[in-house]
Amino acid sequence: MNNVTKKWLLMRVSSVVLIPLMTWFILNLVSVFNKDYVDIVNFFSNQPSKILVSLLLVFAYFFSALSISEVFEDYIQDEKIKNVANKTLNIFAIIIPLITIIIIFILNT
Amino acid sequence: MENNNPLSPHIQIYRWHISSLVSISHRITGIINIVAITIICFWIASLLLGENSYEFTKVFLNSILGKFIILGLTWSFSFQILSEIRHLIMDLGYGFELKVTKITGLIVIIGSFFLTILIYLIGKQFI
Repeated sequence: MNNVTKKWLLMRVSSVVLIPLMTWFILNLVSVFNKDYVDIVNFFSNQPSKILVSLLLVFAYFFSALSISEVFEDYIQDEKIKNVANKTLNIFAIIIPLITIIIIFILNT
Repeated sequence: MENNNPLSPHIQIYRWHISSLVSISHRITGIINIVAITIICFWIASLLLGENSYEFTKVFLNSILGKFIILGLTWSFSFQILSEIRHLIMDLGYGFELKVTKITGLIVIIGSFFLTILIYLIGKQFI
């Protein structure tokens, strides 16, 4: 299997995982977004939201990094600029979810 | 190695069709969603500052602008969910006929508004 096929397959698999996670998250976000501090912390620090939000972050950033790199492939011709853009994208796609997941796991009311 | 892949023509060159509208909207909502998720990450991080510091965020989220942003995000998520399902069906080899792509495109566009209302009503426990 070549790299392009592998990338396509990974995008499809992550999109299948993301559809139920996004549906669950947006339903809960609408329900909690304007509540009190304690309710918000309870939502993010209790199960199953703790695990589901973490999974959403991992898959959302993974899927986005793959999708945005496709946009770079379509619109950026200069190889150096494209490489820098892809590396920056990948660093953000690892650091932001990682830090947020750590925060979710140390959050307590 | 020199990359001789052709670049995509800019979108204004094409005549607009439902499929192209869904396609470009899929990319735009994808970017909106990941930016929103990043802001949500900062929102989660801000919880570490404690209850007193959260007051401003709470006031903002309870304002008309805050509620409008959440409603807009619900539409953006709804569009992405339906459009992604359409993509997956096409990946399985179905729905490539011109008439079918128009119908499924319309289902994504109109359905995203219905799904937004449905999610909002369920989320707010009106249903």
